[in-house]
Amino acid sequence: MSSRSLSVIRSVLPPAVFGVAFIAAWELVVKGFNLKPYFLAPPSKIWQKFTENIDLIWGAAKVSGTNALIGLLLGAFLGMVMSFALSRFKFLNNLITPLAIALNAVPIFVLVAVLNNMFAITSEVPRRIMVTLVVYFIVLVNVAKGLTQVIPTHVEMMKSYAASDTQILCKVRIPNAVPYLFTALKISAPASVITAFVSEYFGGSQNGLGSRITSNIANSKNAVAWAYVLGACLLGLSFYMVSSLLEGVATPGGRAKRTREDR
Amino acid sequence: MSAIEITNISQAFNLGMSNQVDALTDINLSIASGEFVSLIGPSGCGKSTLLRLIANLLVPTSGAIVVNGKSAKQARLDQDYGMAFQQSGLFEWRTVAKNIELPLELKGWDKTRRQARATEMLELVKLSDFANHFPWQLSGGMQQRVAIARALAVHPSLLLMDEPFGALDEMTREHMQSELLSICRASGTTVVFVTHSIPEAVYLSNRVVVMSPRPGRVAEIVDVSIEGERNDATRDNAVFFQRITAVREALRGVEMSDHVRGIEDR
Repeated sequence: MSSRSLSVIRSVLPPAVFGVAFIAAWELVVKGFNLKPYFLAPPSKIWQKFTENIDLIWGAAKVSGTNALIGLLLGAFLGMVMSFALSRFKFLNNLITPLAIALNAVPIFVLVAVLNNMFAITSEVPRRIMVTLVVYFIVLVNVAKGLTQVIPTHVEMMKSYAASDTQILCKVRIPNAVPYLFTALKISAPASVITAFVSEYFGGSQNGLGSRITSNIANSKNAVAWAYVLGACLLGLSFYMVSSLLEGVATPGGRAKRTREDR
Repeated sequence: MSAIEITNISQAFNLGMSNQVDALTDINLSIASGEFVSLIGPSGCGKSTLLRLIANLLVPTSGAIVVNGKSAKQARLDQDYGMAFQQSGLFEWRTVAKNIELPLELKGWDKTRRQARATEMLELVKLSDFANHFPWQLSGGMQQRVAIARALAVHPSLLLMDEPFGALDEMTREHMQSELLSICRASGTTVVFVTHSIPEAVYLSNRVVVMSPRPGRVAEIVDVSIEGERNDATRDNAVFFQRITAVREALRGVEMSDHVRGIEDR
């Protein structure tokens, strides 16, 4: 067996064993103490409901996933545009950055309640705006950092070669910002899914995973609610994995590794 | 013709403010074409500042710098310079070959011409097998050789180096010094070299400029003039040791007027 596959087993096996043991313990506790289904459903029941309702869950996941994806793309785009403006104009940076950091610290997604008032009750727009806002600030702060925190030697060297500001931007600042962008996307991808779910708690159409979870709990269909939670987990996980894969493609070799070591 | 003519240069930071620092006062220095000159002195003597003034990365408070018969700024815009720093300053997102091609890209060369020159430079620093490696896959000494190859890629008439071997171990360092000398001999490049090490300065240079701090000024210029080609045997040469002593004594003179720190005396 090659050392590579051995190291893969070494990194995958412990969490896999722990996960299986955890689910088994859950099942045993529910069965052993004879817990009522409205208190805690056993994993076997949740899995059964998941397979029974797979079409409904998939439909709801498409609604939430579309909201998350549109918000993610739009927020990432706007965040990048703004970060270029910030790195170009110092005063704008001094103005916006503290605000962006402060806004990152407060749960701005409650704004969705206000946004719901502004659009039709069945509109998906408020949820998408909400995801856009959350992603926008994450991307803005990180990419702006990547564009400005370049190694001074690099800039000095470019200047000694009589490079223009545009050349320094294209050949130093933008390549330097690429790993920062992918770090931001890796944080934003799960955050966009979470924001899409939470936005559904504030009313509007009952068509996404978040609203299905609440409505099933309200109807005491505990196991079905858990099945939707499982669907939500899988959706968030798939967003994260895609962003992680993209990072590997866009930053070849040990580039990402190197950047992490530097931090 | 002299490659660099420095006349009455003074450099002050925070001019006119309460925290004004006089980094350099009244520097006069003339460096001949093809000459190798080292700047040595304790921390804070302004040797790096002087290098950056020659490179036109800083503009002097007063005085004039003429490079190849034109202003330092014009020389920079004409890309007469190659620079190398203590940190190799390689771009980790570019391969070794692409790093060397960078100054040529800025000059607007087409791809075939760039690749040909990069191949030529890699042969010069004996790294042809590593063209497609990334910098972090190379050792510190190899990275520094790539940085030197990049600095030399435009065939600059002037090479400005700020402690380029400072982060290397002693063995690699001596090896790099010999390589640098043979490269410069082959290309006829004028070199201004900032260092902390007395033996390094003596081994490499035609002249060693000893500087003193607060305010930075030229304390003494030691003419090395060792006969013949420099090689590893030079390091055991009696004249070599005499010159090291001369530089050391010049630095002691500096020490009497101010406390010397950061000089490697090995």
